[in-house]
Amino acid sequence: MDLLQVKDLSVSFCRPEGEKEALKNVSFSLRKGEVLAVMGEAGCGKSVLCKSILKLLPDIAVVRTGHIYVKGEEITGYSDKQMQKLRGSFFSAVFQNPMTALNPCMSVGEQIVEAVRLRHPQLSRGERRQKTEELMELVGLDHPKERVGQYPFQLSGGMAQRCVIAIALAAEPEVLFADEATTALDVTVQAQILELFLELRKRMGMSIVLITHNPGVAAQTANRVALMRGGELYRIGDVEEMFEEGISCEIT
Amino acid sequence: MKKGYPVKLLKETLKFTLSVLVLSVLVFGMSRLAPGDPLYAYYGERVEKMSVVEQEQARARLGLDEPLPGQYVRWFRGAVHGDFGISYQYKTDVKEVIAARIGNTLLLGGLGFFLVFALAPLLGIFCAWREDKAVDRLICRIGTVTSCIPEFWLSLLLLLVFAVWLGWLPSSGAYSVGKEGSLADRAAHLILPLAVVVLGHLWYYAFQVRNRLLEEVRADYVLLARMKGMSGRQVLYRHCMRGVLPSYLSMMALALPHILGGTYVVETVFSYPGIGTLAYESARYQDYNLLMVVSLFTGTLVILCNMAARIVSERIDPRMRARGGVDGGEVRRL
Repeated sequence: MDLLQVKDLSVSFCRPEGEKEALKNVSFSLRKGEVLAVMGEAGCGKSVLCKSILKLLPDIAVVRTGHIYVKGEEITGYSDKQMQKLRGSFFSAVFQNPMTALNPCMSVGEQIVEAVRLRHPQLSRGERRQKTEELMELVGLDHPKERVGQYPFQLSGGMAQRCVIAIALAAEPEVLFADEATTALDVTVQAQILELFLELRKRMGMSIVLITHNPGVAAQTANRVALMRGGELYRIGDVEEMFEEGISCEIT
Repeated sequence: MKKGYPVKLLKETLKFTLSVLVLSVLVFGMSRLAPGDPLYAYYGERVEKMSVVEQEQARARLGLDEPLPGQYVRWFRGAVHGDFGISYQYKTDVKEVIAARIGNTLLLGGLGFFLVFALAPLLGIFCAWREDKAVDRLICRIGTVTSCIPEFWLSLLLLLVFAVWLGWLPSSGAYSVGKEGSLADRAAHLILPLAVVVLGHLWYYAFQVRNRLLEEVRADYVLLARMKGMSGRQVLYRHCMRGVLPSYLSMMALALPHILGGTYVVETVFSYPGIGTLAYESARYQDYNLLMVVSLFTGTLVILCNMAARIVSERIDPRMRARGGVDGGEVRRL
């Protein structure tokens, strides 16, 4: 059975000046342990797709048609309370700009501990702290004991993104959305973070939805590639055959 | 931070002393340059019957015949030793006049400040939570209107309705004659002035909280926090309030003298025996010594609160703390 299945999903933004369709009949499915790259130009609906699955869209967005299934169970009509149980355990996400994704007024340690506590409420204070340090080491943050007290503005972009990934991993998710997770980083750090994703996938067995507009990133990491344009998901296939047909010139 | 605590303390004290000194010179100079004759405050109508020689003698007795700098030096010498002179109008030590009234002002202003301080975040959070819903819009409209009404007019309106038409509440003073000890009587006298103080200030601060919160709610970190599995309410309290709190606290530190100063107008309208009526009367009758002390008291409060605001925001916001505060640390030019 597919881990996540989206069928005929249409989402519109209702503004006073009129309705705008952001997603048009998008269908795809995600298998266990695979990396699916969603590619397309800016504004084609990649992020809206990810946020509508997570139900984190603003109030003006309305789901017109379609169904979303998690392990065969339909979650399309889930309330926010029901979604809270999925977010932070089944789903997790890493966003584009690590410097704004972290709360500037909280130490990074505090923010990771918070995610750990929400996932494992039964853990004691010490256990939470230990788990936090483990997570920080796992994502390649050295000297976690000193780093827990640091604030986001004291970190570099790459370090901050590692913290965000640590928060995402604290949820021990089955599906991780990486929404342009490497776009704001320079090429070397980008490569390190992608490698980290692949390694974590191997170790924790999670599936990754990698949203990107960089064909190189997709070719390097994905098993399958989905192409979007103007709110439509118009092609999906294995990475080898897609790149053999020369999709890179198509999207860039 | 790096410079060490004593140095910082010394610097702050120096700044404070200098500010108060400048303030005293300004108030002294300006009050004396204003038109009017302080002899009227002391002798009232009798001044008109005095001969020119008698007037000169009276002036010399009150020490008003010296040139201004000399007068200031004499005043300053006395003030350093705790002698602020006598009030021309009340003909007793200025300190006594103030001591009799300051409690009333602190009660009205303090209570007003406390209510605004506690209610503004609640109202702000509520409006932010219900953003753009009918309740939020209604509160925003009402709040804008109430905070724009001048205090003296609102006071008169409330007086008309609750004291004159309905007769529920007393119209002036801090207590009824003969009932000085009664708590209920005092409370009844406090309601209207307090309502004006709170209504006049509450919305401004609540609106600030609401808008700062809405800025925070739109920040990227909210999505990540939601992805941890937190509810919207939890994110609002645990994450967004953290960004609002430092600016709220420093704003409220600045608001303290503002609200206390606002009571001066209210006191005058309600004939409430506090510092405010004193400030008004002393300025009107050229009661220099009294005016000096009242102005210095208010000014000192403003300066202290400004310092408190700065220190509070330095201590709470980690970004300010790391840079070593507003003065000190790295400087970046545009």
